Amino acid sequence: MSNRFVEKGLRSPVNLTWEVTFACNLRCRHCLSASAEPAPDELTTAEALDLVEQLHADGVFQVNFGGGEPFIRPDFEEILDACHARGIMTCISTNGTLLDTARVERLARTRLVAIQVSLDGARKETCDAIRGDGVFDKAVKAIKLLAASSIPTSINTVLTTQNADEIPAMYELAQDLGVSLRVSRFRPSGRGADNWEELRPNPAQLLAFSDWLANSGDVRTGDSFFSLTNQERQGLGLNLCGAAKLTCCVGPTGNMHPCAFLQSERFKAGSLRDSTFQEIWDDSEIYASFRSLRIHSCEDCQRFDQCHGGCPAVAYHLKNDIEGGDPECLERCVTSIADEKKTAVA
Amino acid sequence: MAAAGIQLHPACRVRQEGFGLLFYDSRGPRLLFAETGSILPPDFFATVRRKDELPDGLPEKGRGVLQKFITQLLEKGFLREQPLC
Repeated sequence: MSNRFVEKGLRSPVNLTWEVTFACNLRCRHCLSASAEPAPDELTTAEALDLVEQLHADGVFQVNFGGGEPFIRPDFEEILDACHARGIMTCISTNGTLLDTARVERLARTRLVAIQVSLDGARKETCDAIRGDGVFDKAVKAIKLLAASSIPTSINTVLTTQNADEIPAMYELAQDLGVSLRVSRFRPSGRGADNWEELRPNPAQLLAFSDWLANSGDVRTGDSFFSLTNQERQGLGLNLCGAAKLTCCVGPTGNMHPCAFLQSERFKAGSLRDSTFQEIWDDSEIYASFRSLRIHSCEDCQRFDQCHGGCPAVAYHLKNDIEGGDPECLERCVTSIADEKKTAVA
Repeated sequence: MAAAGIQLHPACRVRQEGFGLLFYDSRGPRLLFAETGSILPPDFFATVRRKDELPDGLPEKGRGVLQKFITQLLEKGFLREQPLC
């Protein structure tokens, strides 16, 4: 099922991902943007505040901040304040290491912010092997601070082969901490591309996760446009890639892309230093191509109505074919396992 | 006790689109696409309204449909009851 209103095009995105910096104090092995040092020419405070003004004028409902680690930017709370003063809701994806009591108290005053803290295992050893020594304890400390506040908080876990068996335990951990769980798909971009073969979940793990998710109604997944439970996705008819239709991505230097996983020059929709946000949203050829993207090779599949061909970013990174269908879709997982069994029998 | 009015829920936002109004509920998050055209201004529920209050100048035929839609918005949580001042 698609959504005819979305297909016709909205005047602006419902929400967007804004990667405010590439600077990060961690070096997570699956990082989608290979964050480390700041980009040489990141948006200035004045440019960032001007963008907030544009987003408000254009009717964007929510900004999802990521990076890099957003709190590394000294002006990040100023940018947040500008959003909230205009009624724009925000969600921050953070590693949690820079959160303290004073900062959480300041953030809680707005009532317009939600926070996702990354945690990649229910066990310290699993998480720290991906995110770095000592990160698990720091992140859990931050989650406890947030859980004690009024800020809606979730744990965000990227599903990898190392933590796939710990997802039910992650759910229990989240419940124990008083927060919700969101599981994101691992995609081969940034450092995730470098470590893809080592970290990617295998087909059996992906299928097992899918089955578990179907019975875990309050767990959200990191879809391309925002977090929804399986039931919510089906009910809305929005079970399609939302890039350039419902959402988009603004990078640290003001370049706009369809989504955070396609931040290369090939997918650059425009620069906020050359055009306004609305001009890029309306006129970008890249965005137009995503709005008309149809994965014809998947149309005969029994699951087409569920996924519409899956994630174009994964198709691009693995097959260099944006229209080729998601190489890691559940249907292909089933086929892959069946093929392995046939080979083993033969 | 003040009579109950209705207002946009603080967790929700609404904006004008070509087809009508697009409602967003950050608690889900949820979207609602309402084919209202231009008969209901997006800022109509920014202030507290009587439950039976509608924009001026609506034809009689459209009033019933719009009233039913507003009731649905209330039931779905995009609007909430607020005391009328």
